[in-house]
Amino acid sequence: MTAGIAPGITRERAAPRTATGAATASRGLPTALALLTGSLLTLVGLTWDVQWHTDVGPDTFFTLPHLFLYAGSAVAGLASLGAVLAATAGQRAGRDPDPVVGGRPIAVLRVFSAPIGYLVAGCGAASFLLYGLWDQWWHGLYGFDAVIDSPPHIGLLLSVMATLVGTVMVFAAAYRQTWGRVGTVTSLGILAAFSTIVVLGFSNVGGPVDAVSAALSWLMVVLVVTAVGFARKPGLAVALAVALGIIQAVGWWFSPWATHVYADAVGLPIRDYIRGVPVMPALMPMGLVVVAALVEVFAVAARRGNRWLPAVAGALAGGLVAGFQGVQNAWVYGYAVPPVGDLAPTVVAGVVLGLLAGFVGWRFGRMLRLVDPGKA
Amino acid sequence: MRRVLTVLTAVLGLVLATAPLAQAYEPVNVVHTERVQIGPYALDVGFSAWPVRAMQSLDWTFAPVGGIADKSGTLSMTAPDQGKEARQRPMARHPRKLEVWGLDIKSLDSPGNWTIRFRVDGPQGPGEGALTSLNVLDQPGPPMALSWSLSTLPLVGLVAFLAVAWRRTRLVAQ
Repeated sequence: MTAGIAPGITRERAAPRTATGAATASRGLPTALALLTGSLLTLVGLTWDVQWHTDVGPDTFFTLPHLFLYAGSAVAGLASLGAVLAATAGQRAGRDPDPVVGGRPIAVLRVFSAPIGYLVAGCGAASFLLYGLWDQWWHGLYGFDAVIDSPPHIGLLLSVMATLVGTVMVFAAAYRQTWGRVGTVTSLGILAAFSTIVVLGFSNVGGPVDAVSAALSWLMVVLVVTAVGFARKPGLAVALAVALGIIQAVGWWFSPWATHVYADAVGLPIRDYIRGVPVMPALMPMGLVVVAALVEVFAVAARRGNRWLPAVAGALAGGLVAGFQGVQNAWVYGYAVPPVGDLAPTVVAGVVLGLLAGFVGWRFGRMLRLVDPGKA
Repeated sequence: MRRVLTVLTAVLGLVLATAPLAQAYEPVNVVHTERVQIGPYALDVGFSAWPVRAMQSLDWTFAPVGGIADKSGTLSMTAPDQGKEARQRPMARHPRKLEVWGLDIKSLDSPGNWTIRFRVDGPQGPGEGALTSLNVLDQPGPPMALSWSLSTLPLVGLVAFLAVAWRRTRLVAQ
């Protein structure tokens, strides 16, 4: 695959373009909404599926939560394909590309002009399809092992992550529009919520450090600092954390409810000795709003040019998220809070990873601004 | 537009209506049993696949003679290289065979001789016993290193994309 500014589109022509009128302002909204709908379907399917396996159990390829998962990636993939084809047709008709619709156009295979956000989202959806086929083969060989951290499952989850990153880029490209700002906050919240399950790939890592909490702190800090690095004014990181909180609250109610309703509908019993904890929402850090607010304070000074503050803020945030996760787990699952000595290695890992996450996150935020050249 | 909506509604309706039919959860099919003496209680351990292979999931049933109604118990599954006994968990009814205890779609991670230890309490008092030397064969399929390498390709792609974007924007993004 080759990538660059699409043929026939010079850097100058692709550069700043002012949105005028309601028609231009809402251009790109339907496709972006379709992509966001796909992302939401995937999140709903995953939180439901995880709860299903925990509280009920039996698995087939065509459970209702699975259908939500497949539908989510299918909708996201079709939306991305439609956006790429429309942009390519527009380019061939000699129309200027509008970066508000998915971001800068990228030439793909010297044929297509793909808005960068939709390109990333579409690649994730296509990858999901391939890993879905591999997952089916895997289950045929190993059985329907309901574990989240099997190789094909991690491949599927990473593919969805790519789609969600693309969704954030699509809305960030339209950040000058109200719907772009709302969509950026929502898609960042969905990405943060989804990230919590991907880190379960580290469940089998032994040693004094809780690798799942440490990895979670890395991802959360990357997202929070990306948000403050992207936004020119304070508020986006806190808004992201609030969006995650809303997703957590809704999921806390929805996933057990949907699981029980579905089990009743298909005549399966709830397992004996279930804890009754909404599994995926319980993974989401409950104190992220406080951490995000702290990072916002650092970001105010960082915007004035202090290059080290994002990393310092990231280190602080990483230690807080990693440490509090151990406390949150104890509280949610009803066991004793681990002593400080047991939490310390994970906090230290969180600080180190957070330092790195703060550094790259700030830069990712600045890179995200460039998705829309008019905003750069 | 109306036609598209009609078609979408019809497809969604069909999917929802046929979802319960499409599931058709398979019954538990025990193909091999081992009898274990747990103090005063005899217990049949059933396997839906035999021999057991590492990472290959199967249904397990634990059926004490006389039924489970007046009994409770725990089990632990200890790996070959594990020094101390694994965590005990309460015996729960098998979700698709409610008259016995069991584990659904459960696999063992590694090959070798596993030990399943049972503790049962009932009308004749508590008892303890174990199925020792449960020989688990090597895992089928490709080596895990290869499987994990394939699975992390989306991550590699995402990192490569970010690295290229980082490099191309280094002058304007700082």
